[in-house]
Amino acid sequence: MIERRPLPFRSRKAEILTHQTGIKRLSNIFAYARVIAFMLLSATWLIVETGQSDAASHVRAPENAVNLPVDDGPPNTLGTRSDGEIWSDIRHGAVGNPSSSSASGQAIQSLGQDWRLLRENYIVKYAGWFPVGVIGLLLLYFLIRGRMKIASGRSGKTIPRFTLIHRIAHWFTAGVFMILGLSGLIILLGRPVIVPLFGHEVNSIMTSAALQGHNLFGPLFVVALMWMFVKFVRGNFFQLVDFKWIFKLGGLFGGHVSSSQFNFGEKSWFWLLMIVGAVMSITGLVLEFPWFFEDLRLLQASTVLHGIGAVTLICVSLGHIYIGSVGMEGALDSMLIGEVDENWAKEHHDLWYEEVTGKSAKDDTEEGAST
Amino acid sequence: MSFIEFVEGPFYTVAMTIFLLGAAWRVIGIIRIGRKKDISPPKGSAAAGFFKGNLRHFFPRGIFARRTWLHIVGGYGFHLGLFGLMLFAAPHVAFISERITGFGWPTLPRWGFVITAEIAFAGLIVLWVRRISDPVMRLISDWDDHIGTWITFFVMLSGCFAMQESHVFLRATHMLLVNIWLIYFPFGRLMHAFTFFLSRGNTGATYGRKGMNL
Amino acid sequence: MSDQSKADIAVAKFLEHTDGEVASFFEACVHCGECAEACHFHLSTGDPKYTPTYKLLPMVKAYKRDKAPFSSLKKMVGLAPAQVTEEELLEWEPLVYDSCNMCGRCTLVCPMGIDIAGTIRKMREGYAAAGMVPEGLQRSAEFVKKTSSPMGVTIKALQAQIKHQEDITGIPIEVDKKGADYMAIFSSMEIMGYPEVLGAYSKLFKKAGVSWTISSVAYEATNVGVQIGSGPLAKEILQRVVDAAEALEVKHVISPECGHAYGAIRWAGPNMMGRQFNFEVVHIIELLDQLRREGKIPPGKKDDRTMTLHDPCQIIRRGGLLKEPRSLMDGSCGNFVEMKGAGVTNFCCGGGGGVSANPRAEELQTAAFSQKLKQLDGIDNLEAVVVPCGNCRTVFEDGLDAYERDLEIIGLSELIAETLAE
Ligand code: HEM
Ligand code: SF4
Ligand code: SF4
Repeated sequence: MIERRPLPFRSRKAEILTHQTGIKRLSNIFAYARVIAFMLLSATWLIVETGQSDAASHVRAPENAVNLPVDDGPPNTLGTRSDGEIWSDIRHGAVGNPSSSSASGQAIQSLGQDWRLLRENYIVKYAGWFPVGVIGLLLLYFLIRGRMKIASGRSGKTIPRFTLIHRIAHWFTAGVFMILGLSGLIILLGRPVIVPLFGHEVNSIMTSAALQGHNLFGPLFVVALMWMFVKFVRGNFFQLVDFKWIFKLGGLFGGHVSSSQFNFGEKSWFWLLMIVGAVMSITGLVLEFPWFFEDLRLLQASTVLHGIGAVTLICVSLGHIYIGSVGMEGALDSMLIGEVDENWAKEHHDLWYEEVTGKSAKDDTEEGAST
Repeated sequence: MSFIEFVEGPFYTVAMTIFLLGAAWRVIGIIRIGRKKDISPPKGSAAAGFFKGNLRHFFPRGIFARRTWLHIVGGYGFHLGLFGLMLFAAPHVAFISERITGFGWPTLPRWGFVITAEIAFAGLIVLWVRRISDPVMRLISDWDDHIGTWITFFVMLSGCFAMQESHVFLRATHMLLVNIWLIYFPFGRLMHAFTFFLSRGNTGATYGRKGMNL
Repeated sequence: MSDQSKADIAVAKFLEHTDGEVASFFEACVHCGECAEACHFHLSTGDPKYTPTYKLLPMVKAYKRDKAPFSSLKKMVGLAPAQVTEEELLEWEPLVYDSCNMCGRCTLVCPMGIDIAGTIRKMREGYAAAGMVPEGLQRSAEFVKKTSSPMGVTIKALQAQIKHQEDITGIPIEVDKKGADYMAIFSSMEIMGYPEVLGAYSKLFKKAGVSWTISSVAYEATNVGVQIGSGPLAKEILQRVVDAAEALEVKHVISPECGHAYGAIRWAGPNMMGRQFNFEVVHIIELLDQLRREGKIPPGKKDDRTMTLHDPCQIIRRGGLLKEPRSLMDGSCGNFVEMKGAGVTNFCCGGGGGVSANPRAEELQTAAFSQKLKQLDGIDNLEAVVVPCGNCRTVFEDGLDAYERDLEIIGLSELIAETLAE
């Protein structure tokens, strides 16, 4: 006769997982991470310093935009008049006749000049500094505060958090995002960064490659975004507890914060990604298939929005990547094995923990009895 | 000799030779181990089973597919996409007809190429991220799995980088990676492209002999 | 070499049993993990170590190190896997013996068609040779050596059961009848636990006019040698049956309602003996189906309860008898409902392949049975399950017990005997 016994597979599984999936190994690495962080921070500072002097010595008159099919400009626009006179005419309704564009009568308009100045003087010039700054801040934070540990240590017991499909959707999106981010930055920053560092030839090659890659992966991001939305929207609606979270600054500087499945930070990241991502998708498609759009101003607005959106998402994603990996012990488990340690859940998502386990997140003594 | 001449010339020849000889050596090596003759009275044909086994395993069974549909979609997307690109991309057909066959065949239009590439990339990414985010996959994967995936990914990526066809350097990079891929192929798990018919066939033959209706 | 380590012995056997077929499996596995989705041990525990392909790892390593094409080249540059150690083998021993029923379900889902079940069988040869066999199985092996039966069923016990059945049915069973057409063998489980099957045989064969007998020296069908993976023992057990059948000059040996026994004698048998037999091996289901088609055992009043059929892996998936039990069921049941996934994709009961003979694996077996239970629970108002395998039957009974469930389990021959036309 077999007695009916509870099957202790769950806890054994957690043990096996930590043992075999190398999570332990991973955490050893963090012992060295601070040293590395310090070195990186110093390196960033160095780059910023030299970059600044570099940038200063490379200040020059704005040139043509890189990703428009314009070479030296149409030959018949300059005539014998000065630039200022031409622009004044154009501003008053004169129509240019560019030879290189199908959008005749539109390719030269005063808004275009404004757009170009905006792009050259602000976006291209400063865009790159934002991610660098964010990385610097994150390193600084890591140096000072270190890794956010699971206060009560790992319990060895896990609870499921994301299904395999969730995880695949996440990493698919993240992978495509990173390819697009890197290739996008190359396209955007070719002139101010690559040209001075490696010269025009290298820039031309890298931009050509990046543009092809960017165009190819762009549509995949649209699909990924929709997939991500469908898979993650549940649990990401804002709730009352989120306000408390905001007041405590998410526990970034200590203190306990309650939250359900996703906290305010995660929810904000989700909606930011969805909304800005949607803008990126639309503007991206406009830029990828410009021949469908008659109005040149739409294309101009698109490049501006696309650039600003990209920098925003990249910056925030860096923060997300930090907190999801080195920044917080136990967070990555949810995206690697789909399960999180019970103590992690209690500390970071107490309300969700109570909801899925039916146990109290505060009272530890009760736990033994109810399993 | 310029870099492109080197990677498309002698290096390519060497890589291709290693690929062909290595793959043949490995397949023949497996076959040569041999099987003992089965003397139990057969109920069906082993030879027919060999082919049936090969065909049958192309089609997932519904009861399993409901659980693993994403894996199946990703797997088929990647493989079909890859074969589509490999055999029907215009530059590939040009290269093959010039270097190997002497004749070409119809090629994909540019938009067809882009869509095929997107499917292949999406599939490969799904397959790899599944490998790193599933406890089962993390446990059974080894470095060979990851290297195979990543070399293939870089070959594809460099190919798509070169799509403007305006920089010899990009084309040469693609070719260089192709050569590395060809050399790695016979020694790693990429060889499954050739060994699958043996494994399916062997099982199929055993089953066929027993008259099993699979 | 006398002081060969256990690991050396096991590895040598692994390599010996890695023929072209197994090599092609090891070469083709793409580590896709699909097989985990088919294995009830993984499904019911969620533990990744029960992934079928993972169970083979030590044998794969040995092959890649010492037998695979390019292995010497890889060894030279240090890329070959490390030598398999005894600790590793011990760590894998429960995976090889406790967590595989050799049911073959994983092969169906594997894109490479890899026969994990057959390979586990060969891997066990290495373990058996090195003496790393679970205690429970070892004990049955010792019983077999003494009494020919893994449960220690003696001829006296068998005779008592025969006598009892003769009393119930009123039909005599002739033991050791020379020149009979058929010689029946049974699994110990049937003789001791479900002796009704003897009565069912005699009723059915009397009706059909089949001449049959039971040997007093070789009545045991279970082949522990095959379960443990010991070639010599398997041959020894088989030898008894072959000798008895040939001495009695029967034309056929009937393999009972037991999965592994059928594979052991029908497919592995001639290869182990190195010759074809002077008799034919038929499975009881095959025989009954044939008799029914010939109109010799016409069905009478059907059993009208809601019933389903369990497909024992070795008979259905790996034995190829898919339609036969179903047409027999149709003749005997008024209300036959198939489980979801019935037929070739059916779940194993969890106790096959020597697992049920291995007390250490009890807990795991019960866990694995939960998949079967899920299938059963998918049928509304289920009243009885027909389980045409003596071993599955005990596993069902234990499993239902463990989950505190109540359901009638019957053998197929009994059902047919009960519903036989008068
Ligand atoms: C490559 C490094 C990345 C790491 C290590 C990482 C890590 C994580 C982790 C651990 C979670 C789950 C947090 C939890 O358990 O609540 C998560 C969720 C998420 N990640 Fe990432 N991630 C990365 C990149 C990205 C990128 C590039 C994107 C955007 C395209 C992204 C978008 C998201 C979203 C939307 C969620 C769900 C959050 C929510 O719904 O509130 N991740 N990530
Ligand atoms: S043969 Fe059956 S028990 Fe063994 S690994 Fe495959 S599915 Fe699991
Ligand atoms: S399903 Fe087949 S190929 Fe895939 S991991 Fe399992 S045994 Fe290997």
